[in-house]
Amino acid sequence: MTQEKVREAETGLGRTWERLKSDHYGVGGLFVVVCFALIAICVWIGLLGQGWSEVSGNRWESASSEHWFGTNLLGQDILQRTLFGTATAFEVGLIVTVCSTILGTLMGALAGWYSHSWLDEIVLWIKGVLDSIPFYLFAAAVAFALQGNPWAMHLAMIISFWTTTARIIRGEVMRLKQREFIEAARAIGLPGFITVFRHVLPNTFHILLVQGSIVFVAAINTEVILSFLGLGIKDGVSWGLMLAESSQEVLAGHFGNFVAAGSSLFILLMGFNLLADALQDALDTRRAII
Amino acid sequence: MNTSGQQNNTSLLEVRGLSLSFHKQTQAAVDRVSFNIRAGNILGLVGASGAGKSSIARAIMRLVKVDSGAVLFNGEDILRMNSQQLMATRQRIQLVFQDPSASLSPRRTVEQTLLEPMKHFVIGDTRFQQEKIRETLHTVGLDHDVLQRYPHQFSSGQQQRIAIARALVTSPDLLIADEAVSSLDVSIQAQILQLIQTLQKEHGIAFLFISHDLAVIRQIGDDIAVMFRGQLLEQSPADLFFSQPAHPYSKTLLSFAGDVPPLRSPGDTWQLDRGSSKAGRSSNCVFSRHCPEKTPICEQEPAIYKIDHKNQPALGLHCVKCHLYDEARTHDN
Amino acid sequence: MSTPALKVSQLSIWFESGTDRKYAVDDISFSIDAGEATGLVGESGCGKTMTALAILGLLPASGVHVKSSGIEINGKDISSLSAAQRREILGRDIAMIFQQPGTALDPVFTLGQQISAVYRRHCGGSKEQIRQTMLGSLEAVGFSEPQEIAAAYPHQLSGGMRQLAMIAMATVCKPAVIIADEPTTSLDSSTRALILQQLERLQTLHQTAILLISHDLTIVRQSCSKVMVMYCGRLLEKTDCHSLFSHARHPYSAGLLSCIPRISDTRPSAINSIPGQVPAMADLPPGCHFAPRCPRAEPVCRQSIPPFDSENGQYVACFKPL
Repeated sequence: MTQEKVREAETGLGRTWERLKSDHYGVGGLFVVVCFALIAICVWIGLLGQGWSEVSGNRWESASSEHWFGTNLLGQDILQRTLFGTATAFEVGLIVTVCSTILGTLMGALAGWYSHSWLDEIVLWIKGVLDSIPFYLFAAAVAFALQGNPWAMHLAMIISFWTTTARIIRGEVMRLKQREFIEAARAIGLPGFITVFRHVLPNTFHILLVQGSIVFVAAINTEVILSFLGLGIKDGVSWGLMLAESSQEVLAGHFGNFVAAGSSLFILLMGFNLLADALQDALDTRRAII
Repeated sequence: MNTSGQQNNTSLLEVRGLSLSFHKQTQAAVDRVSFNIRAGNILGLVGASGAGKSSIARAIMRLVKVDSGAVLFNGEDILRMNSQQLMATRQRIQLVFQDPSASLSPRRTVEQTLLEPMKHFVIGDTRFQQEKIRETLHTVGLDHDVLQRYPHQFSSGQQQRIAIARALVTSPDLLIADEAVSSLDVSIQAQILQLIQTLQKEHGIAFLFISHDLAVIRQIGDDIAVMFRGQLLEQSPADLFFSQPAHPYSKTLLSFAGDVPPLRSPGDTWQLDRGSSKAGRSSNCVFSRHCPEKTPICEQEPAIYKIDHKNQPALGLHCVKCHLYDEARTHDN
Repeated sequence: MSTPALKVSQLSIWFESGTDRKYAVDDISFSIDAGEATGLVGESGCGKTMTALAILGLLPASGVHVKSSGIEINGKDISSLSAAQRREILGRDIAMIFQQPGTALDPVFTLGQQISAVYRRHCGGSKEQIRQTMLGSLEAVGFSEPQEIAAAYPHQLSGGMRQLAMIAMATVCKPAVIIADEPTTSLDSSTRALILQQLERLQTLHQTAILLISHDLTIVRQSCSKVMVMYCGRLLEKTDCHSLFSHARHPYSAGLLSCIPRISDTRPSAINSIPGQVPAMADLPPGCHFAPRCPRAEPVCRQSIPPFDSENGQYVACFKPL
């Protein structure tokens, strides 16, 4: 099949952006994610959502111009809480994604480069053990062991999520190891770890990017469920907590919490999924430009 | 400065009795192979795919484990060197691969790729390295503006030139070209062959040129070595090889490789080789199953016989692994 | 004059990006008679494979534009068939032999299953009939033990054997036209000879028309009676093999022929090559695409596209042919 030799953009990034631009769903997803990210940043720097714990109205007020989504059981403004929840979601997402990706990449690269050796066996064994522990039990155990430390949830997620990234990276590294440009590096006597960091891993960035967005989504989802179970964040508010609150409220006819948290969650995750799909297509190096 | 050295007798690379096999197979991938390359000379190593040619290249570069044998580079055995000596030797021998797009690191610019060997071997300072890359690019026929680009932005011919440039920055004495032109179009192949010829004539670089295509080797080879199923069956100076091939396999190869390859006649007993590994190493001549000149003595593995060309002493080494050239035997008849 | 087995008229293939059109194939026409083998030669990226895929209708629907004034097999136009109609003719009236038999064969089915599937799809019959035909097709390509091959999976065979199995698969329904795309690349010379022998058998026994696509002029010379030279999407020369190899008229054809390495008693004094490189699809020069590299180029060559000039059935698109 004819592959085009001339590229309009020089760098990989430029190429990817061009392809992404043509995928309308992907651009939509990107837009959604960027909007939410901006909200999160505004919350962090103190511009929005600061009144999340303030009691600013009567309990269970319905939507009005003062409280766009109404108030909750304690009279707190649901909109403020939703905005703060955005920041929580991003915080959890970013910390878990970055840490689990780094850990997973290192372990995966180690296992892949020294594949079929004792090092590989150990990593695979650890992975196997961690994968077979039911996650929510594990999260509860970690929370218990750390006696209510606010980072318990993040830690539990990081420890569980790195394994998927590691498996994927291990496979990629094993595949790339066979390629001639790696042989060329070995032929001049380049040591293993330099070869892995300089030549192998940069060729996995496209996979990490897609995998990262998947982990981000998983982290936010997981936080929602953990908060629902009472194992989630302690200081602050999250959509998960709001949904937990709303489980009782909805029966009494108060939908503010549910609508606000539920739709925010849905829209953000939908946007992220569309973006991840589009990124995967745009980064697919095997596709001929047709 | 060495010319395409018929007169030059210095052995740059000497492979002696090299054997290696892959862990799951009982049949050796390379079976007691010996040959030598003189400084400034091009040795064309030819054979069908799977004959073991690439394995030899990798064994020389110490990229695969060797079972036995020696690889002498300027008299020193590469296989027994310590890491310091090996590092010094690796600067002198470089490898060029078959698929240029696969042999260049996709996320590194051309400049980074060319600088890497010099930085690794600590050759010169930054200024020297920059000048060296520019000089090398000029030698291979590329402009300076390729430096900031990535491999995928070039055609395969240009990519192969970049790969050759990478091999040249350390000023090697020997370049191993493993099917380096086999995946290129014929006009680009011709350009790369011209480049190789220039490198030999003007820079005195020796080549181990591996290919399955005799016609290509004819363009640049000074000596020819023929491999079949891991064994070296003949080594001969080029002109002699193409006019009077000695080994029956060489003759078969030449008959297929001519301008218009003959179609098989109905009576031909050439079998399609299934390529499955045979149990153990058999003691007969490795080519005997297919040999048109087979005799009962071919049940025994032949030794390597040297052929003397008394009327042409200037020619290089000519040896054949075939009973037909056993002078002791022919004298008896 | 009898109807040609394959006739392609004014085929063009292009990509659109914004207002630009990039032509991968630019207005080519040719025909092949029954029992005749024509070679389509050119270097990588010149559009040979795209031409084959366009004839078969296998190019993706979005992003690529295909236009022709007709693609006919034995007089029947196939260029505007629906997907269902096209599935009927593929394998039955026209078939393709691909370059990489390793990837063109399904690794999870035996060869017998794959070949039978093709036959069953187009011709049907009882299970026993299908099996006999399948074994017959394997035997016809030269396998002395067809049952063994039928029970084998692709990875168990060598490259040459896989290619022969591909030929069996492509010919089991005895199509009128076969397109062989680089069928002998990555095969060594002895196996190559076997494959070419099979193609010749198809021509003589079944009057199959063969379009042999290759960058290797030597195999085209051996197996084809006619040859077409392609460069940057255009046909530069169409003639019979003998004439091309003895006296090529287009400077590109002549240049290409001079680059082919040959075995000779004495080492060649100089290696010939064509200076410069093939232009990228986005940067095709105006007028004759070969002009920038042509030793005989004149100003008119850079301004207008040379039309086909024919002499004794030999066509050459050049203002200053040799």
